[in-house]
Amino acid sequence: MKVTGLLAAFAVIAVIGLLPTILGGQWIGIFISTTCFAFAAMGAGFMYSRLGMVSLAQVALMGLGGWVTLRLNHATDLPFEVNLLGGAVATAVLGMLLALPALRMRGLYLALVTLMVAGGLEVVFTAFQFPNGGAGFWGVGTSFSAPMRRPTIAPDDANYLRYCLAVLVLGFLLIEAHRRSAPGRAWALIRRSEAAALASGVNVTFYKTWAFGLSGLLAGAGGGLLAASLGLLDAATFRASESVLLFALVIVGGARFWYGAILTAFLYRVAPGLLNTWGVDADLALVFFGAALLHAVMTAPDGIAGQINDLLGKVRKEQTRDRA
Amino acid sequence: MIVLDKITIRFGGLVALDAVSAEFTAAVSGIIGPNGAGKTTTMNLISGFITPTSGKVLVDGDDILRMPPHQRTRWGLRRSFQREQIADDLSVWENVLAITDNLPGSRSDRRTEAEQAIDFAGVGKLRHRLGASLNTYERRLTDLARCFAGRPRLIMLDEPAGGLSPEETDHLGALVVRMARLSDAKVLVIDHDVDLIQRICSETLVLDFGRRIAFGPTREVLNDPAVKAAYLGVEHA
Repeated sequence: MKVTGLLAAFAVIAVIGLLPTILGGQWIGIFISTTCFAFAAMGAGFMYSRLGMVSLAQVALMGLGGWVTLRLNHATDLPFEVNLLGGAVATAVLGMLLALPALRMRGLYLALVTLMVAGGLEVVFTAFQFPNGGAGFWGVGTSFSAPMRRPTIAPDDANYLRYCLAVLVLGFLLIEAHRRSAPGRAWALIRRSEAAALASGVNVTFYKTWAFGLSGLLAGAGGGLLAASLGLLDAATFRASESVLLFALVIVGGARFWYGAILTAFLYRVAPGLLNTWGVDADLALVFFGAALLHAVMTAPDGIAGQINDLLGKVRKEQTRDRA
Repeated sequence: MIVLDKITIRFGGLVALDAVSAEFTAAVSGIIGPNGAGKTTTMNLISGFITPTSGKVLVDGDDILRMPPHQRTRWGLRRSFQREQIADDLSVWENVLAITDNLPGSRSDRRTEAEQAIDFAGVGKLRHRLGASLNTYERRLTDLARCFAGRPRLIMLDEPAGGLSPEETDHLGALVVRMARLSDAKVLVIDHDVDLIQRICSETLVLDFGRRIAFGPTREVLNDPAVKAAYLGVEHA
């Protein structure tokens, strides 16, 4: 087990170190964006697989994290990390507040409430845009754009991709730490049945709110990182329909496994990029996504990640049989 | 002592429990009755899933209906369900920890309590197995471990022997009696297996259509003509 852990850590370090070197030009930008959206996919996947709750507001919450990070950047001289943390925490708090009225709902109704939240945020982003260093509360100027600071250790795109990947690993570790401790066990019971959770002494309201907060924290971090990548954000990136698309891809990528979030973000950002490179209309990706979703719903409930996991399980079994 | 004091529950026009009173003093007591008699409703009331129209439930003098449902576990209430509620993606050990996580005491105390519960139910060998891979009997034993964990004061078992073979039911019955002896908790059992009830319960409450039709020592209750008529299908002379 320890050897496997060491190998995994080595692989992660190798990917973080080598990926930006291998990629070139526009692909570094696409992979930074992919990494940022992996945070939102991670949050949506965790809510769905651990609690059975559907959140259709993840991309909108990313927008909120990006808004707060940009606002703090232009209003203060604080380092990027503090602004990023501020954006993530603010999104977590809003996520928890939005969760409260939704806690008595389940299934479709809960999904609809989160979608309405995404719609509300879309209206706000479209009406007020994202801060660019202007005056006033909204911080939007019409004729200029102040620079967005990046981490001092990652001023260029290649190092910034490494930085984003390292923060993504921290996000995965945060989810895993939750899964292995009391909150993870409480969430497993809540998913089994709320009556069983209550009978086990689980404070269902508290743990559901916590889940919304954690999911918001991750989405907010993704939004903050995206803001520093692009320098400014566009309301069109965070439309409610994008949250719905991301959730559909979470099902395709596989919500139960950590690498499902990476596969989801790949599908969401890299697949359209590839189609563009090949001279094909990127919107065609939506057709593929629809077909992939149908395939996942009908034959692979754990998505592509589940299929990879099953395949690895079979390989391991055969190896064990060969050794015996 | 468990006191049900004139418990009434109405769902609209339906009276699920009609001024039911009983004082359970035995270590292991039973509640029996035909389907729809109000047995599980009584347990759901004590668990806090239903609010009574009127009445009180006192356990050793504590009015437990005043506590929020999740705090009743901290107080010492444990229960199992007709359809066991083992989380499939947690191991047996984690399923037991899911209860002790919510109990008072230090982390090491809670782990010790979970360890004792696993040993008690004899599921030590299964501790790393996922809930999804357990058979019905193993799931029932894990449920018993969860009920025994911590310092329970009232354990409610809703059809704990459902789906078990006669041998498994015998073993489970013996564990329930041992559970009451080792934990000092009062145990309330609902089951359709009258043999099991007769073997492990000293006192029994019989409900029919939400009304109490008999209460007392199990042997006497089962010989009551009204009980035979309502529950065992024997004509009441």
